[in-house]
Amino acid sequence: MRKVALITGVTGQDGAYLAELLLSKGYIVHGVKRRASSFNTGRIEHLYHDPHEKEIKFFLHYGDLTDATNLIRLVQEVQPTEIYNLAAQSHVQVSFETPEYTANSDGIGTLRLLEAIRILGLDKTARFYQASTSELYGKVQETPQRETTPFYPRSPYAAAKLYAYWITVNYREAYGLHASNGILFNHEGPTRGETFVTRKITRAVAAIEAGVQQELFLGNLDAKRDWGHARDYVEGMWRIVQQEVPDDYVLATGETRSVREFVELAFAHVGRPIEWRGSGVDEVGFETATGTPRVRIDPRYFRPTEVDLLLGDPSKAHAKLGWRHTTTFPELVREMVSSDIRLLAAERAGQPR
Amino acid sequence: MSGAALIFGVSGQDGAYLARLLLERGFAVHGTSRDREMAGFGNLTRLGIRERVALHSAVPSDFRSVLQVISAVRPVRIFNLAAQSSVGLSFDQPVETLDSIIGGTLNILEAMRILGLPARFYNASSSECFGNTDDGPADEQTPFRPRSPYGVGKAAAFWAVANYRESYDLFACSGILFNHESPLRPARFVTQKIVRGAADIAEGKASRLRLGALEIARDWGWAPEYVDAMARMLDRDQPEDFVIATGELHTLEDFVDRAFAYFSLNWRDHVEIDPELKRPSDIQVSVGNPARAARLLDWRAETTMPAIVRNLLDAEMVRRRDGKD
Repeated sequence: MRKVALITGVTGQDGAYLAELLLSKGYIVHGVKRRASSFNTGRIEHLYHDPHEKEIKFFLHYGDLTDATNLIRLVQEVQPTEIYNLAAQSHVQVSFETPEYTANSDGIGTLRLLEAIRILGLDKTARFYQASTSELYGKVQETPQRETTPFYPRSPYAAAKLYAYWITVNYREAYGLHASNGILFNHEGPTRGETFVTRKITRAVAAIEAGVQQELFLGNLDAKRDWGHARDYVEGMWRIVQQEVPDDYVLATGETRSVREFVELAFAHVGRPIEWRGSGVDEVGFETATGTPRVRIDPRYFRPTEVDLLLGDPSKAHAKLGWRHTTTFPELVREMVSSDIRLLAAERAGQPR
Repeated sequence: MSGAALIFGVSGQDGAYLARLLLERGFAVHGTSRDREMAGFGNLTRLGIRERVALHSAVPSDFRSVLQVISAVRPVRIFNLAAQSSVGLSFDQPVETLDSIIGGTLNILEAMRILGLPARFYNASSSECFGNTDDGPADEQTPFRPRSPYGVGKAAAFWAVANYRESYDLFACSGILFNHESPLRPARFVTQKIVRGAADIAEGKASRLRLGALEIARDWGWAPEYVDAMARMLDRDQPEDFVIATGELHTLEDFVDRAFAYFSLNWRDHVEIDPELKRPSDIQVSVGNPARAARLLDWRAETTMPAIVRNLLDAEMVRRRDGKD
């Protein structure tokens, strides 16, 4: 059977992991990236070859979710059997600064892709995966959150993703598309964007260990998240799409951890345990052995509207997909810190990243 | 000179060079990119000014973000260099191209009106507005005949700027810039494709370079000099539009020939013509007449074609040696 996947947002953390997974399963993979002045294909460079070589399985295209004509042409050319919509303006803070663009790309962009499938008559042959997010739960209405928990988005990003979630469900019910949502809780890894809190912490720990940074500034230390490893989660995406009947699934670890615990584990991994003193914005994390201040609070990193404790209930995914996360929280933190230590060492030695 | 300058599209080639120039002239430089948290800002880093430019997230086609950043920065100079900038890609992505060019320009003009800001505004127009310059070098009086979605967008934005200048008395002008190159061009542009391709072949990493039409002819300038013309346009007493060009015409074949000659190679042994790489409608000849800029801005292109190829290749060899992207 012909297996051709189209991945939007292929330059992102999940896009790169998913492309790798699908290639290993024998798919032809077409990735879509947005135009940019800056170099941004570092995560997929190892997958890419000159398109004129033979036996190429991975192709890269320019595309933009705000341009319907462009999406239709791409889908027409590629004739995918599976479409994974991972493209989005995915930064919560930036969505407060560019709310209209976030709605256009994350919300209506999903509609444009669904319409491309219909317009091209691929509704019987192409399956669709929508990257939904635990940010949909925002001001949580019950804990833990499961597929039936009502949404309460708390940012322009989450509000746009809410539209994308429901339009996916709507096209499934109205037109019989094989379209599914994966409601993914936080999933991290060594290639997470550098401004996401987990990566910010692990990069800082590596820099402190190397002696090139002294302190790390963070927002709300007690924000609690359900953190898994992205590598595990892309396997969940693929399984969702392989189901006979399309449906929506929560992918989560089912465990909740605070930013504080992430910080403690990350510093402990390099043999610099942290102890906390003070409270509120004056709380400081000191290195236990030397008393050196390492972590401080900067209220600028507080969100205009913070989301509460996010904790997913992945039982449906366990039961129906046979999926569960395999990387534990301490393993995740250790892998990220170790990777950033290696990256920084290579960078300082003048090697390309 | 003092006050704040705001550059939309600071992560691109022209944005980075302009930021450096304005810092040298004493401006507090602010720059936008669609997503401050994700953009690499590699060009600013490469010029060593990443830490000196205040970075903001703004999407020009998102009015709220434009208004927000202009009212926060209160600039005395605004430069709009943000947009989809590849002619080739504009055939595949026409709607996004037009949204980013026309929507972005109008949103900035409208924000200036609404805020009643006494800022001076520069909009990046393009020689692509002219299409083929069959009747000799194009000047400020030459009619537009664009031949790509990109050119159509730039032509519409040009007229929007002129219209707002005349209707609302804004200090707004367009620089109609002909091709201008530098090592900061992304790899997808043909000049970088040739430079990197020739270097790959010289280093034995590749054997062939595939190109589209070699007979096309262009007026190639040096980007660091062109951003100086932008700054000069806003230093005048009157807002007016200018053609910025070298006035010299060279074929792409000539460019390719010199790039391979840099390595003592003959391009004919390595270059394959691939008709699939041709655009649906390409401009054959594009050359500008910069006489007015020379007279009124006292601006002249110093670096022209043969030197441009040499500079690009020198920079590429340094980049390879240092292992930087």
